[in-house]
Amino acid sequence: MAHPSQLGFQDAASPVMEELLHFHDHALMIVFLISTLVLYIIVAMVSTKLTNKYILDSQEIEIIWTVLPAVILILIALPSLRILYLMDEINDPHLTIKAMGHQWYWSYEYTDYEDLGFDSYMIPTQDLAPGQFRLLEADHRMVVPVESPIRILISAEDVLHSWAVPALGIKMDAVPGRLNQTAFITSRPGVFYGQCSEICGANHSFMPIVVEAVPLEHFESWSSLMLEDASL
Amino acid sequence: MLRLIAARGGRLLARPPGAALTPVCSRAASHGEGEASTAVDMSRPLYWNRLDTPLPDRPFKDVLNEEDTALKQKEKGPWGQLTKEEKIAIYRLAFQRTYPEMKQSTGEWKTVVGGIFIFMGLTGLVVIWQSYYVYPPQPRTFAEDWQARQLQRMLDMRVNPIEGFSAKWDYEKGQWK
Repeated sequence: MAHPSQLGFQDAASPVMEELLHFHDHALMIVFLISTLVLYIIVAMVSTKLTNKYILDSQEIEIIWTVLPAVILILIALPSLRILYLMDEINDPHLTIKAMGHQWYWSYEYTDYEDLGFDSYMIPTQDLAPGQFRLLEADHRMVVPVESPIRILISAEDVLHSWAVPALGIKMDAVPGRLNQTAFITSRPGVFYGQCSEICGANHSFMPIVVEAVPLEHFESWSSLMLEDASL
Repeated sequence: MLRLIAARGGRLLARPPGAALTPVCSRAASHGEGEASTAVDMSRPLYWNRLDTPLPDRPFKDVLNEEDTALKQKEKGPWGQLTKEEKIAIYRLAFQRTYPEMKQSTGEWKTVVGGIFIFMGLTGLVVIWQSYYVYPPQPRTFAEDWQARQLQRMLDMRVNPIEGFSAKWDYEKGQWK
């Protein structure tokens, strides 16, 4: 989750998010360089003592400020496309989970082996235990085994929603009647929070996503426990 | 009675046609330029005082009286025979202002900055009023002890442990790094 007055990204919990962080650093550095140059030129133009400011023809600078931006764009596009294709690589998932968006909660289905399904509602502010995070906590978390490739199929039962977890670098729209697929690997154990990212009605801000990455044994005992609870 | 009102109305409506231009003129006047100006005919050559375009389309004084015409005639001869005052007069016929006069600062920035501060102050008053009269009570999670427990929970959960939040906490010493 984000900490108070945070400005940058959350620490990456998946390899794709790490790549995105580094790409963002690269692109932002280019942006800072260009902005500094432009700001310098503006200040120089405004404070000059020269009176002859209207040269109408100069081939050399025209060539430079056509070619240089093209080169900069290529320098941005190549890493960007690399990450784009990286995200789509075949990854042979260990587990497939379905995340269904409803108004106004998420439901998760783990149907690879048994029929496990449960709803995940936000814990209202008045029901929080001291120290819990307002508008982020959910009653049931989506538990996944750590360091395992997971395929997640995202859809919706009523209106558009969007399943987003910033620490994992995932955002995928939940479209009714459509199955969107994405995949991730959690590189470290922990709890990762996200919020619905497509306007879906009155409680759009109150349907968070909580992903908990645990070692495989803990995942197995959790799923047995959930199945027992469901069958009760 | 009606005649009186009509007379007043008539007076209000009979404004000069260049009235729309007066805001610029009055602003110029209040910042120390203080010259009367009239509506500008853009289809004729213009005169201007600009640092970056030094030679306007026409001289400042187009219409010359006898004295000025005589001066212009004398200018056609050798310039060494012109006195200093004559040279200055010839310059003033062609140009309204000298370079130092054009570069003079107007003090307009003081008005702008002052206006900005005034409006920022008024905005501040509005913000204070609304935070007292409009905002609902804060959620209970903003209480100090809740925030403290939340902070401890974030450290226990190792939130952002690589470069972010928990990375700045020294777990062995139990204090911030």
